[in-house]
Amino acid sequence: TQVVVINIEGMTCNSCVQSIEGVISQKAGVKSIHVSLSNCNATIEYDPLQTCPEDLRSSVEDMGFDASLSE
Amino acid sequence: ICTLPDPSSASFQKHEFFVDMTCEGCSNAVTRVLHRLGGVQFDIDLPNKKVCIDSEHNVDTLLETLKKTGKNASYLGEKSAQ
Ligand SMILES: [Cu+2]
Ligand SMILES: [Cu+2]
Repeated sequence: TQVVVINIEGMTCNSCVQSIEGVISQKAGVKSIHVSLSNCNATIEYDPLQTCPEDLRSSVEDMGFDASLSE
Repeated sequence: ICTLPDPSSASFQKHEFFVDMTCEGCSNAVTRVLHRLGGVQFDIDLPNKKVCIDSEHNVDTLLETLKKTGKNASYLGEKSAQ
């Protein structure tokens, strides 16, 4: 299992947090996700055999948020 | 000679959707997914949680797109453009 932190812009309330957690947690290979509204990011534990940081990032972006991988 | 309907002159249906938006962050997300889909003109009524879309896309495509935001969304019906 690996962990990636994705910076997310455009979240303003808890319903944004819940939407992202709800959708991304359903993705294949995602073990856990924690979205922080105050830090504007998501910490995702994933299985590298099933998904990758870029794939996760683009999934967040597909939901209508700006997402970037943190270094 | 068979004439096909000219898509540019066709009057598109206005469709009304319920989307469970609670603030501007939510409505921005809706705006972005619709812009990404393209071929849509829309109005967002945040207080009433409604999105009114004028588009060449069918209702299923539009609903799928709205659901990408992770919010609850449903189709309310057609709205006749005046
Ligand atoms: Cu929000
Ligand atoms: Cu919101």
